[in-house]
Amino acid sequence: MSDTAAAKPPLLPSRMSAPTPRQALRRLFMTLFLRGRGARGLNLKSAPKTVSQKLLLTLLFYGLFGCVTFTMVGQPVFALAVYLHAMTFAFLGMFVASSAGEILFNKEEGDILLHRPIDPRTMLWSKIRVMIEISLWVAGAFNLAGLLTGLASPDGGWRFPLAHAVSTTLEALFCTGCVVLLYQLCLRWFGREQLEGLMTTTQVLVAVAAVACSQILPRLMFRYGHTLTASENSWWMALVPPAWFAGFDDAFGGSAAPISWIFAAIAVGVTVIVLWLAFGKLAHDYEAGLQALNQTVRKQKKRGRRWVDWMVNVPPFRWWMRDPVSRTSFLLITAYLVRDRDVKLRVYPGIAPMLILPFIFLFQRSGMGNFGVAFSGAYLGMIPLFGLNILKYSQQWQASDIFRMAPVCGPAGVCNGARRAVLLFLTIPMLFAMTAVVALLYGLNSHIFLLLPGILALPVYSLVPALLGKAVPLSSPIEEGKSAGRGLNMIGVMVISTALSGVALLSWSQGWFWELLLAEAPIVIGLYVGMRFALEKVRWQSAE
Amino acid sequence: MISINQLTKRFGAQVAVDALSLEIPGGQIVGFLGPNGAGKSTTLRMLTGMIQPTSGSATICGFDLQRDIIEVKRHVGFVPESGAVFESLTGLEYLEMVAALYGIPPDAARARIEQFIAFFDLSFETLTDKLLGAYSKGMRRKVVITSALLHNPPVVFFDEPLDGLDANAAVGFKALIQTLAREGKTIVYSSHILDVVERVCHRVIIIDKGKLLVDGRPDELVATHNSGTLEKLFTQLTGGAELEQRAEDFAKTFRS
Repeated sequence: MSDTAAAKPPLLPSRMSAPTPRQALRRLFMTLFLRGRGARGLNLKSAPKTVSQKLLLTLLFYGLFGCVTFTMVGQPVFALAVYLHAMTFAFLGMFVASSAGEILFNKEEGDILLHRPIDPRTMLWSKIRVMIEISLWVAGAFNLAGLLTGLASPDGGWRFPLAHAVSTTLEALFCTGCVVLLYQLCLRWFGREQLEGLMTTTQVLVAVAAVACSQILPRLMFRYGHTLTASENSWWMALVPPAWFAGFDDAFGGSAAPISWIFAAIAVGVTVIVLWLAFGKLAHDYEAGLQALNQTVRKQKKRGRRWVDWMVNVPPFRWWMRDPVSRTSFLLITAYLVRDRDVKLRVYPGIAPMLILPFIFLFQRSGMGNFGVAFSGAYLGMIPLFGLNILKYSQQWQASDIFRMAPVCGPAGVCNGARRAVLLFLTIPMLFAMTAVVALLYGLNSHIFLLLPGILALPVYSLVPALLGKAVPLSSPIEEGKSAGRGLNMIGVMVISTALSGVALLSWSQGWFWELLLAEAPIVIGLYVGMRFALEKVRWQSAE
Repeated sequence: MISINQLTKRFGAQVAVDALSLEIPGGQIVGFLGPNGAGKSTTLRMLTGMIQPTSGSATICGFDLQRDIIEVKRHVGFVPESGAVFESLTGLEYLEMVAALYGIPPDAARARIEQFIAFFDLSFETLTDKLLGAYSKGMRRKVVITSALLHNPPVVFFDEPLDGLDANAAVGFKALIQTLAREGKTIVYSSHILDVVERVCHRVIIIDKGKLLVDGRPDELVATHNSGTLEKLFTQLTGGAELEQRAEDFAKTFRS
């Protein structure tokens, strides 16, 4: 008997009712997304359902935010569709960019799935299908009000909702396909060794591009006085992807202008090409990428001390980090910000798109000059707020038990170290970048002082997440901080920054700007001291 | 059953597995030993299709590792050292998902799962109600072992399978692999618990720095090298000498 024949497993009962691997995987990845990948819960009934609950709340909020489109009643279909697709593009782009790394290249699942008889294309499709489904929930919630508004458009009607549903699905496929394609091209061109670094860069670029595209179109609409129409003069819009999908809506459910048909053709054609390349042509590279995650490549270590070890031992950093617990926490967070794939994939793509807005305001010099500067300053304070919130979550959250085991009363020292790392490596470089842009655009004149109200508030912002010991770094499972709500956080940040910059601008124009700063300084100092004191009093909470 | 020819894996400049060649027939339990970083797990990962060899070839049940990788995967079961599972699934959901990946119908899968949980002394309620994240390490290991055997593979690779199992489960597991071998299955057993390997395995392979050092029956190897026990043979071959002196030096650190 041949080896092969002898090795054949006994015949199994009929496979008629067995789910296919694709169905099983699709169900698996959807369950993992909704329940999260880690579980503290003791049983199925009491399992934490925070992810699905958060998703429901997120969808509800997107639905409410979508109601803004009711203010566009009476606008032509093309203008409405441009707004809807621009915003959808941003939400989807940010969601896909921030979730793709974790879903597509999860290191832990290699040991579970890579030795099973699964075709890489099947695995890829199952994951993508889940991402597209969730993208469509988000897109559907946001666009619900828009569908109704389109019915009342002068050139709209019953065909608009149908056309918009199809174009939104195309847009979701396009966004997801682009991210997958980018990964695969990176793998093909730069090799497996650099996969992790490339994944971070790719996600940052996609998230930034999504937000930039979404911001450019609505701003142009304002420039055209809300009456943006599809015409031969708007050919340049073909350079911005959301316009293609808006063209699709206008072609099938609106004015059916000739240029809209061209945009619709581009939307369909580009989406098909992206999908063909991502899931057909380059699917093999995906398997190679998954295998790369299971290979430990030992890098040649440079001799000598690490730069960060040297840094914390020279003034003024030595004075700043004199508490050994804070210093250790600072070193730990710095290492994670520089080296850890999971943290890098969430921190940089999470923060980068938020930073687009102030730059857009700064570059819009006409009429927005002073507001742009004040807004940038106020917005800057949000970097530590977001950075520390994201750094709370880690795949290795159970390792944070070491903080509790150490002879330290509470999380203050650990939180302070993390806060300093975020201020030094994320906030201060951004502060210099924004100051440089303001100086470049407006010159070194008094405008630059408008940054000060925001900069002054930085220490307080950085303490907010740590209050009550709630931002112990790397101590919570990543499922508790799902990225679907990041778009909502961004809206919240915009509202607060706009309010702050409004006050700064008012004081500037009324001539009591310096008085405002004089009043702000003691408030900030008082709040800072009080919050530090409160943080020092916090004791470790029981880890259930 | 398993045929390995000049199998090599390089990670950059580092050679993890260096031109390994082996023949393992059906019905054999093979102890696959080596110190940490010797290349054991890398070899097992190559043979299960998790990573690609740099060069060389291998066939499992007549299927080529490079050309028929899906067929190879269909014919092997693997218990990885990490014991990784999807923590937010219940034990039953996890096992049914694995069964579906091998095309086993739900009813047949359920019957097999019931057999395994009876063998491992797990309750069905635990399997249906508890999420794997809440399982103890040993219970999780039992689920991983079950998932590796669910499709009745002719070749099974175990990487530290006893890690976390209690004494009763470990005894039961040893009996299980001996039974499987009697039924003609090939078992490759990688472990650091050498007395278990000595008692259970028909053949022992020791590798170090990716190279094959010795290959033979445990008693013959011990006799040939005049080492008395497999443990002494292992330390003799893999540079584990002077361990007592090193322990003394380590303890000195705390005395000063």
